[in-house]
Amino acid sequence: MAEMWISMGPQHPMTHGLWTLKVKIDGETIVDTIPDLGYIHRGVEKICEARDFTQITPYCDRLCYASANTWSHSYVYAAENLLEVEVPERAEYIRLIAVELQRIASHLMWLGAYCPDIGNLTAFVYCLREREMMLDLLQELGGSRMHYNFPRIGGVKRDLPHGFAMRCRAKVKLFLERIHEYEALLDESTIFLIRTQGVGYAKPEEMVNHGVTGPNLRAGGVNYDVRWAHPYSVYDELDWTPSVERSSVKGADCYDRYRVRLDEMKTSASLVLQALDGIPGGADTYHEPGDPALLGKAPSRASDGQTGFHHFEDPRGESLFYIVGGGDARGKNPYRVSIRSPMFITIPYAAKCMIGYKIADVPAIMGSFDPCIGETDR
Amino acid sequence: MGMKVDNDKQVAASNDLISAIQAEFTDEGVTCELRFHAGGKQKRPYVFIECPPEIWLIVAETLSEVHGVDYCSMITGIHWPEKVPEMEWQVVVHLMRMSIQNPKSKDGMLIPTITDASIVQGATMPLELEISIAIPETRTPSIPSVQHIWVGADWNEKETWDLVGIDFDGHKEMRRVLQPHETPAGFHPLQKQHKLRYHEFNEMYDDAQGFMRKSDDIGKVK
Repeated sequence: MAEMWISMGPQHPMTHGLWTLKVKIDGETIVDTIPDLGYIHRGVEKICEARDFTQITPYCDRLCYASANTWSHSYVYAAENLLEVEVPERAEYIRLIAVELQRIASHLMWLGAYCPDIGNLTAFVYCLREREMMLDLLQELGGSRMHYNFPRIGGVKRDLPHGFAMRCRAKVKLFLERIHEYEALLDESTIFLIRTQGVGYAKPEEMVNHGVTGPNLRAGGVNYDVRWAHPYSVYDELDWTPSVERSSVKGADCYDRYRVRLDEMKTSASLVLQALDGIPGGADTYHEPGDPALLGKAPSRASDGQTGFHHFEDPRGESLFYIVGGGDARGKNPYRVSIRSPMFITIPYAAKCMIGYKIADVPAIMGSFDPCIGETDR
Repeated sequence: MGMKVDNDKQVAASNDLISAIQAEFTDEGVTCELRFHAGGKQKRPYVFIECPPEIWLIVAETLSEVHGVDYCSMITGIHWPEKVPEMEWQVVVHLMRMSIQNPKSKDGMLIPTITDASIVQGATMPLELEISIAIPETRTPSIPSVQHIWVGADWNEKETWDLVGIDFDGHKEMRRVLQPHETPAGFHPLQKQHKLRYHEFNEMYDDAQGFMRKSDDIGKVK
């Protein structure tokens, strides 16, 4: 049969954002794919060159609409490496709580968006119900529900509010109960299993060579996580192991990627509970904003030639900010900010993954990699 | 407590890599040193390598094949008009050693490689590397592509060419990725001759809509 190109996107239910996947099909089988990105390229890196270091944090929030908090933290850690800032330990614990809550919310958003793609609309409502709890907690911390602007260079904006620890423990424990509902809903749903099992195999070594990290890699049975390999924050003081999936010899399929994310939510929940117990000064004490226990002193200028970078474990893989100091306004602005987006590297690989499968598998494979176009296009 | 890689062991592994690179490439002008991240509680080490563009390909192949650096995190470019002539362009490459092997299998299922962080050492120690490649004054900057070594470098190189204008020799299907396909040739927005035109600070906050703006201001600001 004659081969032909089909253009999926920029408006297509598969895309989870605004991009195009050009698919070459022979009958129903995919023989070639070309991803086409850049529809919402905002030039964040150039904008950052005209902003001072504190003004950049909210821009980084807006890189990803599903996990704003992890991106601003990713930037702040790199800026601290650049400006040589010491962060108080209490602030590190609060950051960890904020990031892990955001990770749960991001994975829930993914699951909620993925299940309707492959014919299970009910799970969407379940996931958003639990995500709502996480957003309520994040709202208590950051004051808003989507773009928190919570971390500061040197610490955090605010302490845990009164009663936060109690509400957080209750909600996280309730969430841990409700994860079983997802397992009952999805692992026993024939439609879900047929659409995900045996589809979109990805080999671990190939994924590393292609630059795919995070849950997508751990689904292939490889235990690699920046949080233990290059520990930052206080991850080395808490008791945890990254969730790794037992996949088949062919590699990780969509089902493995779903399992590993479900498992990772449990890990994150346990990290939050541990951090609430182990936080120095106790979770129920409250410091005013700007207290030395919350905010270390940070210089506002970086001199020429200073650089800083930081590898960060984002819900979608390893993100990296590379900042060169000594820009405009006598060093108040960065000279160059460079952002590594995990999905920018993963989407070409995911597009390669689907060669050989049927065209109906495109949403199942693409969705399982958790694409987020906000960070991809920057 | 907790799962982590020991800082001292990471320093030792980084030093091993540094002495190996120095022994092999010092004559070609490669300098190599151990650096530490300045922020945070743990001062984590990373390997910093300065490499001339001519032998970047050989260094990359050595890192990949001999030293097991299996992951290319980011390739990015910087335009330095004030450092003409010795370094008008700079390419910064961030690599990582993950030491990943395909997990063993049993009965058709993989046995997950649960690495115990306390036992990884020597050549399996995870490492961070930063490589700086200085390109002297030129209107057509280019360095060799490492796309065939780390496939993950492919889209990074595309992006670097698209936004900064540094070309990569031997790269297959170089094209615009973030900017529109019809962008004029030679337009690379992160080059420093393209200035951001913003309001001055006062105008931005006092008179955002421009009601109070005098007629002779019009056209001077955006």
